[in-house]
Amino acid sequence: MQGVFFLTALASIAAVAVICIFLFINGIPAMAEIGVFDFIGGQKWAPSNVPASYGIFNMIVASVYVTAGAIVIGVPIGILTAVYLARFCPKPLYKVLKPATELLAGIPSIVYGFFGLMVIVPFIRDNFGGNGSSWLAASIVLGIMILPTIIGVSESALRAVPESYYEGALALGATKERSVFKTILPASKSGVLAAVVLGIGRALGETMAVVLIAGNQVQIPSRLTDGLRTLTANIVMEMGYSTGLHRQALIATGVVLFIFILLITISMQAIKSRSEKHG
Amino acid sequence: MADKNNAALIDDIKPINKVTFKQRMLSYKRKPLSFVMLLLVALAALISAAALVFIIVYVLVRGIPNLTPELFALTYNSDNVSCMPSIINTVVLTLLTLVIAVPFGIGAAIYLAEYAKKGNKLVKLIRTMAETLAGIPSIVYGLFGMLFFVYALGWGYSLLAGAFTLAIMVLPTIMRTTEEALLTVPDSYREGSFGLGAGKLRTIIRIILPSAMPGILAGIILSVGRIVGETAALIYTYGSATGYATGFLNSGRSLAVHMYVLTNEGLHTDQAWGTAVVLLVLVFAINTLSAFIAKKLGTKKG
Amino acid sequence: MKKVLAKITAITVMSALAVTAFAGCGSSSNSNDSSDASFDTSKTITVVTREEGSGTRDAFTELTGVLVKDGDTKTDNTVSSAVTINSTEAVITNVKDNDSAIGYISLGSLNETVKAVKVGSVEATAENVKSGDYAISRPFNIAYKSNLSEVAQDFVDFILSSDGQKIVTDEGYVTVSDGEAYSGKKPEGKISVAGSSSVSPVMEKLAEAYMAVNTNAKIEIQTSDSSAGMQAAMEGTCDIGMASRELKDEELSALTSTTIAKDGIAIIVNKANTCDDLTVDQIKAIYTGETTVWSDIIK
Repeated sequence: MQGVFFLTALASIAAVAVICIFLFINGIPAMAEIGVFDFIGGQKWAPSNVPASYGIFNMIVASVYVTAGAIVIGVPIGILTAVYLARFCPKPLYKVLKPATELLAGIPSIVYGFFGLMVIVPFIRDNFGGNGSSWLAASIVLGIMILPTIIGVSESALRAVPESYYEGALALGATKERSVFKTILPASKSGVLAAVVLGIGRALGETMAVVLIAGNQVQIPSRLTDGLRTLTANIVMEMGYSTGLHRQALIATGVVLFIFILLITISMQAIKSRSEKHG
Repeated sequence: MADKNNAALIDDIKPINKVTFKQRMLSYKRKPLSFVMLLLVALAALISAAALVFIIVYVLVRGIPNLTPELFALTYNSDNVSCMPSIINTVVLTLLTLVIAVPFGIGAAIYLAEYAKKGNKLVKLIRTMAETLAGIPSIVYGLFGMLFFVYALGWGYSLLAGAFTLAIMVLPTIMRTTEEALLTVPDSYREGSFGLGAGKLRTIIRIILPSAMPGILAGIILSVGRIVGETAALIYTYGSATGYATGFLNSGRSLAVHMYVLTNEGLHTDQAWGTAVVLLVLVFAINTLSAFIAKKLGTKKG
Repeated sequence: MKKVLAKITAITVMSALAVTAFAGCGSSSNSNDSSDASFDTSKTITVVTREEGSGTRDAFTELTGVLVKDGDTKTDNTVSSAVTINSTEAVITNVKDNDSAIGYISLGSLNETVKAVKVGSVEATAENVKSGDYAISRPFNIAYKSNLSEVAQDFVDFILSSDGQKIVTDEGYVTVSDGEAYSGKKPEGKISVAGSSSVSPVMEKLAEAYMAVNTNAKIEIQTSDSSAGMQAAMEGTCDIGMASRELKDEELSALTSTTIAKDGIAIIVNKANTCDDLTVDQIKAIYTGETTVWSDIIK
């Protein structure tokens, strides 16, 4: 019977292997045909031109930009909210707030996308200029979307810090806030870092919300109100209509995204093993 | 009884440590930075909560007026754009996904928690792979599902392709929560069972699994939430046919995909918002159920 | 006084939430009233386009000359700052909310929240599309392999019959054939149809009507896009593919195609926009980025 359990445990290895094999088999030939450098370094994406160009450099940059924006917005709010939930929140309020942050994670991304399109895009257009569908809009919505991840993981990291750290600081005369920010937060550093990395993964991979609000121009934005097109948006926008090399190039775009995610998972592992070593 | 006495005792001690409002304000006056931090922390929590309330109120305000009886008509046609078939399809899809994923998830968790030796290289690999799976974005699952199940295996857009794709997607969630639940079962249970002469398998099935059940259920319900809200992974696997998917190789659309298609066509925005409300209510119900079961687990433990 | 502090925090949170909630309701009702504001022609035009490969975009760029063909090379000159969107709904929303935006959608999807401009002084109506006066129009095609099943062939006959074409008209599209009333044998079977999301709304109506007439048939419709539909028809994963564009040569070599309807492409602007009439050249200039402000057009 142990053998059966062992086999089920191998399922996840098999799944990752099959996913890798199928994505790479379908993506690598396109990269080879287009030329790896032209594909990753190319700035022109014009699949319906003859001759066509397939360069995804601008989209890689856009994905990084949007993710960075989401981190700038989501991380401070997320970590501070986690601190509030873990150390400051009155119990009755906690009973409401905690499920609320979890509910935030349950809202389907398509709903976030339409919310962004109906509310945030017009707001940016009226107050910051441009046409609204922009880097800023995508970053704000993604910032909200990664909040539950960051809050959840950071909060459990904060709660894992022994109470004696906090009491020790209080006993030395520090205010409550000082005790929290100078002892508990530093002690939970690796957990909070893990939360941020997880958030980066979420933001990088989000599709349905981004495609509606980012404007999807294939360009490197020079202002926050300029539009951009992420890797995920490129796949979901054009996958359906594509044939031949165009379709393979989109799968190759997925491969590039997949490699990014793998890098993030690896750094996640590194953070974890480091925190296990240190304590 | 002992608990109550303890609580009373703590209540007696508390006044000694009490900081009055005045004292607190005084200390803030001396350390203005602390006060600023307090404000920032409260503000952040406020923003998080406000974001949620704003989004939900917005969807409800736009959606509730559109919750008409026609939206829940038994058969779909392009006038009523009923979401009833897609609700049923979502239920069927969810069940099938769970039938595929749960045995694998629980089996793997049992292996990791009960059989595997600590520090085994293979175990480490299994965990790493499960975490990799958890990190893969749904659009990549969609691409993979399309390439593998739909084209390579020739299933076409079908219930089976959608369910298998989602099963891989929720596998790590079920694995992790089940393993955590198994690990919280005290060793004394195992020892007691062994002591009475039960074998390992019997112990696992009769003793450990039942006591870990609330945790396992909470994990499964969490997965249900993910399945219900999924769009990107389903468009290219389950497809978007409007009727009831009556066979394994039939295509259908889940509720989230239904909403996506409605908004995409641009002819039924009102109904799309109504569908969004249905989705939110479903997700909310699933969350509450999960929290309720997890709470049951919590009280049992403590 | 920890409790007092807690209470104060709780009350602040609640009242702030209430305020935000009300603000939310307010803004949702305001967004549609932008048409009352006077139109500022000095604003930069926001160009809204569909994604590469979309049937609507293919047809639009080809008909307006944004797509330049030179021998074997084809270049889509759509300005790089154009907002690119993959759904009709999102195009309408963008144009509805942004008074300096311009976009294009299928005539059948046009609603009263935006304004369709005349093209070369011809109004975008079904009659003008049918007569050929309206310049920007495209065919809705279905395509299938030669070994079409009996029931699928019967469905195609139904679409082209006067009963089928009446549905096309009712849906706001333009008929292509003046066929006779449907008189099929009502064979039994299952038909799967896949392809363009532009065609699928009218195809759903046709399928419903056909299934009402022929209760022996069952039709399943997959909505994706033209190329996927043609691909599916060629691979045999569906019986009938739908395309909202002319078929490409490699597709024509494997499939038989039939035009079931015609659709105009409406050029839409915000209701506040005072521009009513554009020439095809002006549209081209806007989409290629030569014209960037409305004051260049509205004198």
